[in-house]
Amino acid sequence: MNKILKFAGKTVGALAAAYAGLFLVFYFDLDGKLLYYVVEPTLIKHYDRMERRDPLAVPYEQIERDYM
Amino acid sequence: MKKPNLKKGIEKLVKADKKKALRDFVYGKPHGERRLGDNYLPKSGLYKHREWRGVKDTMYYFNNIWLYNYGTIVGEVLKHNPILFVKGIWRYRWMGQTYLTVLHWFDRCLEGERDQVLRASAWHLNGLVKACLFQIGGMFDRDIKIGGSETLRDRTMAHDETVWGGVFYPYRDQIDNIPLQMIPYFVTCHCNSHTVLNYIDAAQSIGLPGDPCPMCQAEAGVFVQDDMPDYYRAVITSNEACDGSVGTSVIQDWMMNKPLYAMPQPMRFDDESLVENCAKEIEGAFRFIEEQMGAEFHWDELVKQLEEQNKLQRFEREKWDVAANTKYSPINAPAQALYRIFSSQYGNSYIWHETDARVKKILDKCVEQKINTFPLTRHRAIAWSCAPLYYSALGTWGYNCWGINTIINMDSLMFDMEVRTDSYENTLHDMAVYHEWAPMRRMAVGGLHHVFELWENMEKFNCDFVLMYDQLQCKGMQGCHGLFEDEFRARDINAIWIPHALPDKRTVSRREQRKIISDYMYTVMGEEPLDPSLVDFDDDNSW
Amino acid sequence: MRDLKHLIYFEDLLQEANNDLVRQGKKDGKTVLGYTCYFMPEVLLDLPGAFSVRLRAPKCTSPDMSTYYMSGRTCHYGRSLLERALEGGYNFLDAQLATETCTVTCRFQEHLDYMDDIIQNVDFKVSFTDVPFKKNENSIDHYEKQLQEKVLDFLNENYNIDTSDEALLKAIEEHNEICRIVREIGDYRKLDKPTITGYEFFVINLITMTCPKYLIKDKLLDILEDLKTREPDDKPNYKIKVVMAGAENDDPDFINLIESCGALVVADRFCYGSAESRQHIEVREGETPLRAIARHYLMTNQCARFMDQKEMRSRKQRIADLAKEYKADGVIVISNKFCEYWSYERTVTSIILPRDYELPVCSIEKEYINTASGQLRTRFQAFVESVELKKLQGGAQK
Repeated sequence: MNKILKFAGKTVGALAAAYAGLFLVFYFDLDGKLLYYVVEPTLIKHYDRMERRDPLAVPYEQIERDYM
Repeated sequence: MKKPNLKKGIEKLVKADKKKALRDFVYGKPHGERRLGDNYLPKSGLYKHREWRGVKDTMYYFNNIWLYNYGTIVGEVLKHNPILFVKGIWRYRWMGQTYLTVLHWFDRCLEGERDQVLRASAWHLNGLVKACLFQIGGMFDRDIKIGGSETLRDRTMAHDETVWGGVFYPYRDQIDNIPLQMIPYFVTCHCNSHTVLNYIDAAQSIGLPGDPCPMCQAEAGVFVQDDMPDYYRAVITSNEACDGSVGTSVIQDWMMNKPLYAMPQPMRFDDESLVENCAKEIEGAFRFIEEQMGAEFHWDELVKQLEEQNKLQRFEREKWDVAANTKYSPINAPAQALYRIFSSQYGNSYIWHETDARVKKILDKCVEQKINTFPLTRHRAIAWSCAPLYYSALGTWGYNCWGINTIINMDSLMFDMEVRTDSYENTLHDMAVYHEWAPMRRMAVGGLHHVFELWENMEKFNCDFVLMYDQLQCKGMQGCHGLFEDEFRARDINAIWIPHALPDKRTVSRREQRKIISDYMYTVMGEEPLDPSLVDFDDDNSW
Repeated sequence: MRDLKHLIYFEDLLQEANNDLVRQGKKDGKTVLGYTCYFMPEVLLDLPGAFSVRLRAPKCTSPDMSTYYMSGRTCHYGRSLLERALEGGYNFLDAQLATETCTVTCRFQEHLDYMDDIIQNVDFKVSFTDVPFKKNENSIDHYEKQLQEKVLDFLNENYNIDTSDEALLKAIEEHNEICRIVREIGDYRKLDKPTITGYEFFVINLITMTCPKYLIKDKLLDILEDLKTREPDDKPNYKIKVVMAGAENDDPDFINLIESCGALVVADRFCYGSAESRQHIEVREGETPLRAIARHYLMTNQCARFMDQKEMRSRKQRIADLAKEYKADGVIVISNKFCEYWSYERTVTSIILPRDYELPVCSIEKEYINTASGQLRTRFQAFVESVELKKLQGGAQK
């Protein structure tokens, strides 16, 4: 019983700590700061380096029939 | 960085009115005493800390908006294939760079909002988040570029975002339809204005001049950068809203290289004699869908979807009625504008019904309890012409800083009709008219007399002020600029021209737009700001 | 080459919209009908008792008043037309037969409708025709109905113009005759050594669009006769031949500029050009004249606003075909600044033609009146040199 209570207490405590932690993330806009200063620049570097299909090589066939 | 002065800080704390401080903590600072601009970090638009709105509203924001929407994102992703979402983030700039920042878009749009406005507006934005995720998930599940299902792709059609989703109603039980540009382009500009600049530049990199409408340029640029998921078998496109849209179709057709049906709207659409032509084009689209997808026309499905859509329209009118005739509307400017344009263009979805049900409860409460939702309103404004996509929160700022409460905007009023379902002929007729009333076609690029529907809508919504968006590259609106000036003078209307280049914040920054409004309010109206900290701040590099 | 008959007279006429022949036509009691676009069938405005004038605003370099009304960010063509209207330059018009084919010309024509006193003529009216974006049967039906209601009924009710089938057939016949003469004149551009320049031909073609046709027919016949004996220069003063394709151009000096850089313009596939507008209108068996006109003007039209997938793609083929037919070495694709349709079309055309048809392309964004001719000259000269070089290299390889 004691163990269960302890476990429950720990769980509630952990959840409360997580909740409080999340509130700090929210209140101090830490999600925004992480995205702005770390995630976005990293992804931009990746996108800029990506190999892409040459758009000008796409075929441009004449079409016999038309969709009316 | 300024060094904190501990001595001064303690002195300030000792001198402070404790009761007032406690009241501000519990209830939040009242409008008029707030200094929201002090919360910003320079340039980035990030917050030193998010706004303290009092205990109740801050906790509401934290639990029901911030946590809830992050949770919504996770939940919606899990409904699809999460691995494909990760691949999509890695593969597509518009995905990774844009949508991860969505909660900041909430922050900007809901700044300063309290109580019922905060709740109703947030539900609108939540509806948009769900609808976007529904489409993103749908695209990724089918996108063969990132390993999506070919089977699903083969049962999916793409369409220009300005082709009303209702065209697919008779086939909704058999095939899927996902708009082409809504997710990779249109919504990105609202969430993160950086992303789209790559696409504009990409379009110009193949020789397109810089002067056509930047929206159409960006739409072409997504294809030029090969950033359009390959999730569809065939395409329906449209001439909506303008010449640029027709032009961009030429590039899109080339880059997509798939069967394409053009379903244009007639230009002089207020003429009853044109409806027949438009209706026949819709029937042509039906044939195209049937031929390409092997689907059958299901009248019952069409009626079912239209009747559901009509319910949405009726509630929209109810909202307008409250906004027009009372002080009790709990929906702020960006929520009204974005939710309406998105939902009316996309067509019926369970998401809109869920959202409307929630908003209706709040609306009813506001009306029953006569809650003055925007108590510091100095001017009731109507926003006309096409709005800057990179500054959807402009209306929020206008109210916080100057008490300019945007009651309604042009795009909201476009599809103001119910579609009859009593016979095939009547239904087709009304579908044609609905299709003709597409955004901007009716009031920006359409006939002059429609552009001037502004005057009657000002009266209808009891507005005394016009926020006149001045899309510098919209030939339709630029082409009647002087006539508007003449009319504003003749009718003695206070109108502020707000220049912008739709998605491209480099042309006119948000800061410049705010300066134009503030200059007008100081010099022409002789007014002082409600929140002086918002008059000028640097958010040039913000999302 | 020796001077072409009537050319100087024609050049003079083109100095203003309300020229001597327009005044003469009006004096003859004809109704003067303005229009701007190929989507408005010229032949319907040339019915007995009326004549058409495709609007131009020559020498309009500074459209200040219209810039107030339409801002500085719209196509110079539309703004110049409005400027000329505000200056009183179109007071001779009895009606404007308008089309919403591109936004800015539409807005110009809406100003004519909206501003009561802009055209100082009490009889002046504007009628707008909705024109299709596609070339299917539905589009022809729609176009025909619109032409009936917005053009023929409008003209009959307001100006008492005979719009019977007989009158239409007569108008078609006269129109076809003018087209035949213009085509025959234009065919001299197909010769290995053309005996007419692009500039001369364009002046002639413009005259047929801006003056009463009955007053110029004899002069056109004179020119045709004259061309029969006109000899090319021993040493041609051009280095390459080009097709000019693209958006609106009604400025002969622009073609003169191209030709002065060594590129002879042998085919004209642009608004105000002849490639489509001077084709023969055929009335098929069982077809009403109006149906024939609707079909003709829709199916021959190469406007960049057509959206059928087949049409979007075949426009490039059409230019390539013209280059072959007129033995052109390259193509100059033009669009006016702020023209949305042709900005895109020009971009794609200038990529596809060299890639798929091996046709060199000079892609030009121009103004309505090109005062900055130095920059353009440099572009054209560089293009001519590059094509010439390619020709020389090609010849050496053979």
